[in-house]
Amino acid sequence: MKKRFLAVILSLAVAAGCVACGGNDNAGGSDSPAQGEETGETSDQSGETSDQTGGSNTVVVAMGAGFSTVDPGYVYEKYPPLIVNACYENLFKFYSNDSAPEPCLAESYEFSEDNLTLTVKLKEGVTFASGNPMTSADVLFSINRCKNLQGNPAFIAETIESMEAPDDQTVVFHLTQADSAILSKLTYSSLAVLDSAVVKENGGTDAEDASTTDTAQAYLDTTSAGSGMYVMTSYIPDEEVVLEKNPNYWGEGTNVDKYIIKIQPDANTQMMTLSTGDIDVAMNMTDDTIAELADAQNVEIINAATKTVGFVMMNMNETYGGPVSDPKVQQAIRKALDYSGLQVICGEGTLTPYSLIQSGFMGSKGERPADYTNVEEAKALLAEAGYGDGLDVDLTVSDLDMEGILLTDLAQKIKDDLAQIGINVNIVSQPWAAGYGDAYRDGTLGFTVMYWGTDYNDPNVQLEFLPGGVVGLRAGWTADMNPELAAMYQETMSATDNDDRIAALEKIQDAAYEEGPFIMAVQAPAHIGYNTRLDGVAISDPYALDLTLINIK
Amino acid sequence: MEQLKFTGRRLIYLAVMLFGVATLVFILTKMIPGDPTVANLSQRALSDPEVVAAYRAKYGLDQPIFVQYVLYMKNLLQFDLGTSIRTNKPVLSELARCYPATVELAFFAIVLAAVFGILFGVISAIRRNSMLDQVVRAVSVTGVSIPSFWFALLVLYFFYYKFHIFPGPGRLSNSFSAPATVTGMYVLDSLLEGDVPKALDALSHLILPGLVLAAFTMGLITRTTRSNLLDVMSMDYIRTARAKGLGRASLIMHHALGNALIPVLTVIGLGLGNLLGGMVLVETIFNWPGVGQFAYESVLSADFPSIIGVALLIALNYMIINTVVDILYGVIDPRVRCQ
Repeated sequence: MKKRFLAVILSLAVAAGCVACGGNDNAGGSDSPAQGEETGETSDQSGETSDQTGGSNTVVVAMGAGFSTVDPGYVYEKYPPLIVNACYENLFKFYSNDSAPEPCLAESYEFSEDNLTLTVKLKEGVTFASGNPMTSADVLFSINRCKNLQGNPAFIAETIESMEAPDDQTVVFHLTQADSAILSKLTYSSLAVLDSAVVKENGGTDAEDASTTDTAQAYLDTTSAGSGMYVMTSYIPDEEVVLEKNPNYWGEGTNVDKYIIKIQPDANTQMMTLSTGDIDVAMNMTDDTIAELADAQNVEIINAATKTVGFVMMNMNETYGGPVSDPKVQQAIRKALDYSGLQVICGEGTLTPYSLIQSGFMGSKGERPADYTNVEEAKALLAEAGYGDGLDVDLTVSDLDMEGILLTDLAQKIKDDLAQIGINVNIVSQPWAAGYGDAYRDGTLGFTVMYWGTDYNDPNVQLEFLPGGVVGLRAGWTADMNPELAAMYQETMSATDNDDRIAALEKIQDAAYEEGPFIMAVQAPAHIGYNTRLDGVAISDPYALDLTLINIK
Repeated sequence: MEQLKFTGRRLIYLAVMLFGVATLVFILTKMIPGDPTVANLSQRALSDPEVVAAYRAKYGLDQPIFVQYVLYMKNLLQFDLGTSIRTNKPVLSELARCYPATVELAFFAIVLAAVFGILFGVISAIRRNSMLDQVVRAVSVTGVSIPSFWFALLVLYFFYYKFHIFPGPGRLSNSFSAPATVTGMYVLDSLLEGDVPKALDALSHLILPGLVLAAFTMGLITRTTRSNLLDVMSMDYIRTARAKGLGRASLIMHHALGNALIPVLTVIGLGLGNLLGGMVLVETIFNWPGVGQFAYESVLSADFPSIIGVALLIALNYMIINTVVDILYGVIDPRVRCQ
């Protein structure tokens, strides 16, 4: 009996080994489609249910983890917008990373004289994947649902006081204050327009108590209910998402019939699967893994700065900041930091923004000059502040990472740089969820290095760094400390005309260039590797990757 | 009657243990620093007291800890493990989603470990102090001491990336869609669908992660089998059997191995229990959506209903495995049945 049992087990092991030998013949970084397509024939033989590729125009994308829903009402993390943007549409959309938002489901729009009312006319003839026509009622439902779910993205609709739908093709937004970023906010994945009839049928509600009564998340995690180019046909959390072409798409689609989106958190795994041709796009490459692909044929690499910014914060409140609350010490630190060294740590594609507004945003003044660092000047400033013999200071740092770059690595570099001017930095590590987050939010951290991911793709997100803003207050920078700069918040918010906005944003950058508790040290890079058979792959801050712009050559 | 008493005692023991585990883990998750609100809400949302209040109310975090505990235990008695703070889904359904992936991989790994571990252990014992013995011992020491994440990257690099012998990460190749969920184990579900190529594909994806996970337990099994077999082989009854002219193969298979395997069963049981708890790093590298990854994400998010859920699952695993091992002792060694 025992012999038989052992024999069966051995046979199974041998069978498994034999099966595996047929592993992967599509190796060597070929420019052929991802492996799935090549094996399509085999799967066809096994019956229809086995064929996932649905023809030759399938693209396989690997992206990171860290999210657990693709319900637009809840999405906030980095990667779900990639899926939402392909399956749903918004009133406005960013058609390229650094452009201004352009109408998508909107046909036209108009601000009132006082900028407190925005009237949007909708495109006619737009249908959802279900075949239902898209109307103003769907827009109201979607935005109210996001607002009332009170999840992470609810803030995006905070300047929308109320909405009305005078007819099926018109939506009127009444704003709590003039908001020059409202068009950008309306591009946000959480404000994607849902097929309200379908969502309501499946437990969705936009009522005020939606945070406790809406049950549509379970449904929206199995399929999509939008008007986008694709329909989500499968979502297996932490494993993969499958998108197939929307047969009722009202616009012109690309030639990609199907996307298989693999959730692969490990950069080495992505590098290997891209090289072997198992995937077409690797979203989470690192400097090291990119180097491995240097000689790979038919693989193209994109290294570019994102709008996620790593910054140094020096508390203006002396109780918490101690010596770093002194503007002269702050300027000495600003002058002492080796920005190009920080860029090297973060990897290829990193840059240092000129001031508070990241390079790539409308109105940005670009990068801080490469020769800005001046150690002698920094020493002189420190002496002027009364610290000619140097000083000791704690630099608190959390366990978070910025686009894969550990903040502790940045803290170490800052420590080394400041040692050159006599500032002895003691790095204090504190977990984000165990103290750091509370202290950061309460504004009790004296000196820290932190990062800021843009909540939505608009330069106005940076206004929170001004005195009296959400982040400004975390650094003890109250509006009365710099009323002129604080007033620029409202000035920029009210500037709905692009030229006026640019002028206001440039003024802010000049005013904060060498002033205030923040040093914008680096814009973190993103590294994407992709098969050269694809066209249109590009870094996208709002959508991580815009699948609706990708074609197969 | 004795059997009924035994089963009853086991069930009471199980209930008390699960209650203890739930209570202990609940207290620990509340004691360690970590606020689920801070861990799960964005910086922006945390600035809005209304959103924070709604979030805390939704998950009962605004209640005193004792009330939270009573509520949790009350729900637990009704087999309701609560709602995951991180995913906003019932913990039970989350475990049902990720546990089968872990079970499938763990059983594959333990079969590999047991088959090759016992085989190597026997070879090593009968060729004691030979070159072959030295090699087997070196392999088993390596298996025990090699860090699994490093070994995972190594096998993936060579067997998938460089030499293309085995398929890469994930549970299925791109050409196959996931089978309809019956057990959640892809090999079995594909067979139930009648799709043999898909089942073989799923089986082939088990090999590399299975090998990595098997390495540690296989090393232990090899060493345990070898030392126990050597002990048994030096016993009087074996000497007598040999004197009566019994062949070596028959001697080992029929007389020695059975007795030597009892401690090995314990090692296999512990190894399986360990594997069923999920292996975070190996799961991450092989893109395997199992319990390990779920537990890791839950800890990072201070998602205490999920953390307790995983702890209960692991406790349950060990309880069941220990019971099965106890029964198997009796199957292998009739003296145990007599006791």
